[in-house]
Amino acid sequence: MRRHLHAERHIRRTGTRLAAGALVLACALLAGPVAARPSNVVSLNICTDQLAIQLLEPDRIASVSFLAADPHYSVVADKAEQFHLNRGRAEAILRLDPDLVLAGTYTSPATVRLLRRLGYEVVQVPPPRDLAAAREQIRTVADALGVPDRGERLIARIDRRLARAAPEGSHARRPVAAVYEANGVTPGRGELAHAVLHAAGLRNLAARRGLRNLAPLPLEALVMADPAVLVFVSRRDAPPSQAQNLLAHPALAALKQRAAVAVVPPALWSCGGPQLARAVERLAQARARALAAPEATR
Amino acid sequence: MIAAAPRLPVFAAALGALTLLAAVGSMLVGPAGLAPQAVLRGLFTADADTVALVVQQIRLPRTVLAAGIGAVLGLSGAALQGYLRNPLAEPGLIGVTGAAALGAVLMLYTGASQSFALALPAGGMVGAMLAVLLVLLLAGRAADTLTLILAGVAVTSFASALTSLALNLAPSPFAALEIVFWLLGSLSGRSLEHVALALPFMLVGGALIVSTARALDALALGEDAAQSLGFRLGAVRWRLVLGTALAVGAATAVAGAIGFVGLVVPHVLRPLVGHKPSALLPVSALGGAVLLLLADILVRVITPAQELKLGVVTALIGAPFFFTLVIKSRRRLA
Repeated sequence: MRRHLHAERHIRRTGTRLAAGALVLACALLAGPVAARPSNVVSLNICTDQLAIQLLEPDRIASVSFLAADPHYSVVADKAEQFHLNRGRAEAILRLDPDLVLAGTYTSPATVRLLRRLGYEVVQVPPPRDLAAAREQIRTVADALGVPDRGERLIARIDRRLARAAPEGSHARRPVAAVYEANGVTPGRGELAHAVLHAAGLRNLAARRGLRNLAPLPLEALVMADPAVLVFVSRRDAPPSQAQNLLAHPALAALKQRAAVAVVPPALWSCGGPQLARAVERLAQARARALAAPEATR
Repeated sequence: MIAAAPRLPVFAAALGALTLLAAVGSMLVGPAGLAPQAVLRGLFTADADTVALVVQQIRLPRTVLAAGIGAVLGLSGAALQGYLRNPLAEPGLIGVTGAAALGAVLMLYTGASQSFALALPAGGMVGAMLAVLLVLLLAGRAADTLTLILAGVAVTSFASALTSLALNLAPSPFAALEIVFWLLGSLSGRSLEHVALALPFMLVGGALIVSTARALDALALGEDAAQSLGFRLGAVRWRLVLGTALAVGAATAVAGAIGFVGLVVPHVLRPLVGHKPSALLPVSALGGAVLLLLADILVRVITPAQELKLGVVTALIGAPFFFTLVIKSRRRLA
């Protein structure tokens, strides 16, 4: 009897150990071949560039896109300068012989097709359309880079900072905000900027007008809407073009005097990352100014 | 021609009324959807409310530019056709607008016009001037149609190639896409600043062209006849060259190259007012204004969200015209 019990306990213990072993194996299998951390990563997209630089040791990165070194588009521009900067051309990337290529869904489709045909591992991520998608993008990239725990830590940091940056009473009063970019386009529903405006306690004029993604907004319509907050994305010293000169239109200058103006460069709100909190902070400040302005001036 | 003379004031008055009507229409059309009373109040009010902003800062410059640019294109078309005695002479076809666009592009994208605003129309006018001189040099006065068109094609394609090159090399990421603006023209996003930059030169240029009207009448009888009537041909040519360069150059610098207006308008009006340049010139200016005002209303009505380029509409009207002219000239040659 006693021997029998002992045997049973032994079997059970072995079973537990086997089950645990199977779990570890399953995890390894689920994580796939990327569980081994890639050591020669090439990134073709500004979002994956920034994530790779934030999540991975520099010696494991072979190349990032040229936009990553432009502070207008990238929050890690100073760190990006040490890497080879690519322009998404297959020839340059093949020479680097990467063990992982990170790309956006819409970046350099010809290059991605060619790399896949030649057997290179390519992970494509869609541009984040809201905050949840931004988190998902970080998870996807972190998994591909073999550093899922760092990805989770980054997400937790973003969520903490976003929660701190969100203004109080943002659900009670939402002033109307309009983002006006060069060429007279504005981000509507389905753009990360729309989600960031919402997080900052603002209402996006473009979404109210039923616009989706990046859509043209006639200057006349913008003036008539007379938004309480006016958001610009471009720098003052942008090289001249008709698209850029539209932002110097006298009608817009008059509108600027009536509204609270915020400048949020693409670096702060076109990709998922802790920088989103800085975008929210800037917008929340403009919101506070708009709410403080006496109604009579509007 | 004799019968046309008494009809002329009537036509001019009718075209004037039409221009006014088209201008009113241009002021009423726009995505803001303003009622006519609101537009009227917004035009004359001193308040800076949103309606006044839309009417005074967005619609008014657009209307003024459409009327003014249409007028100088129609006028210079009629004058060039008279001077070169060639039905196909037109600022667009002989390369003047293309070269003007190149000059303006060089000024805008290098940042020259940012530090010195007048550089923009200046670039357009210098480009236009060089093109007129080049065409006159290549084809000469009273050259046959083929030579003139070939010279125009050469200047136009060279200018548009250099325009593309300049836009591709420009530092702005938007520049390369703006080739469409420069090749087809648009009045979208224009302001009173553009009016202030271009209108004075367009007025001076237009006046210079109109001042050649009597001489062009005489020239229709032949150079000897004109000279015996006391016209100094060298001076006439310079006034015409300078006038076209100023008017078309400044217009193109703020609105891009708008084609076919100078071709279509004189051809439509010639049967109505006769072939005398002095009669044709003023009505062509009015007709050009009407045509471009209507075209600019159309681009806003057809696709309100993303406006068509003006040159698309003028080409849709003008190209069939061009075809009929080709067919007519073939018949004449046969």
